[in-house]
Amino acid sequence: MAYSDKVVDHYNNPRNVGSMDKSRTDVGTGMVGAPECGDVMKLQIQVNSATGIIEDAKFKTFGCGSAIASSSLATEWLKGKSVDEALEIKNTDIVNELALPPVKIHCSVLAEDAIKAAINDYKTKQGAPVSAETVSH
Amino acid sequence: MFSGPPPTDYFAIFGIENKLALDVEDLQRRFYANSREWHPDRHARAGAEQLAYAEAASATLNDAWRVLRDPVARAEYVLKNAGFDIGEQRGRDVPPELLEEVFELNMALEEARDGDENAKAEVARALTKFEGLLKEIDVQRDGIFVNYDADPNRETLTTLRALLNRRKYLQNLVRDARAGLA
Repeated sequence: MAYSDKVVDHYNNPRNVGSMDKSRTDVGTGMVGAPECGDVMKLQIQVNSATGIIEDAKFKTFGCGSAIASSSLATEWLKGKSVDEALEIKNTDIVNELALPPVKIHCSVLAEDAIKAAINDYKTKQGAPVSAETVSH
Repeated sequence: MFSGPPPTDYFAIFGIENKLALDVEDLQRRFYANSREWHPDRHARAGAEQLAYAEAASATLNDAWRVLRDPVARAEYVLKNAGFDIGEQRGRDVPPELLEEVFELNMALEEARDGDENAKAEVARALTKFEGLLKEIDVQRDGIFVNYDADPNRETLTTLRALLNRRKYLQNLVRDARAGLA
């Protein structure tokens, strides 16, 4: 199966690979996995809590080219968006942008799940008492 | 006994009850006895009908032995007969508490590939952990077998299905970790 040019581009030059300190209160971490292929994806956002804007996003994905491209694209899209705008990102947007074939749609679902999980984690941290977040890992 | 087609059901071909928890030693004795009895060479001159029966019975018996002696293959056989989709399930049964570990294992595997000796120790640690989890799953599996035999119901099979998915996932991790250490 041939990958689209955009998938190949993200695979060869993944954007925003890396990791952030997950104990920080302004960082949200989403960790998701796909049992059928063993893919695992970590996506993190760093939010300006005054403006609610996502200032930075990082990811690290172990999986196929489509999974890597989906999460790479997701971090690109996340930067500069508000948390609420980020929740509007749908896996179908990723499928369309990357021209993913039907057998790879689950990779985009994984990326959408990772975004939601990261935002969830951030929101939980913002609502949770500060003392619970100061514990280092 | 050589009239009509032989049983196609794997339990029936052994003449045993449809049970998940079975005695593999007893199964082996039955396999040897039936194999001898149905060996096509013994029926070569007994007429076409009897020979056809012996050939069909031998073939089913061999398949049945391969499947029933293995607890996972046996469970999948029972699940398949109950209408469960084997191997095509795209359930989200990744144990969430495992994801962090899986991620760390993959990180360590990547570093080990780059020649980092510390990472190899990390992979070895993960391997031990996942092998332990596999053993736990097999104990749970045997418990589910006993429960199902006592009270066969769909709910128990659904639990078994999910457990086997987790097992497959863990098995892949163990395979990757072993490959990373090799």
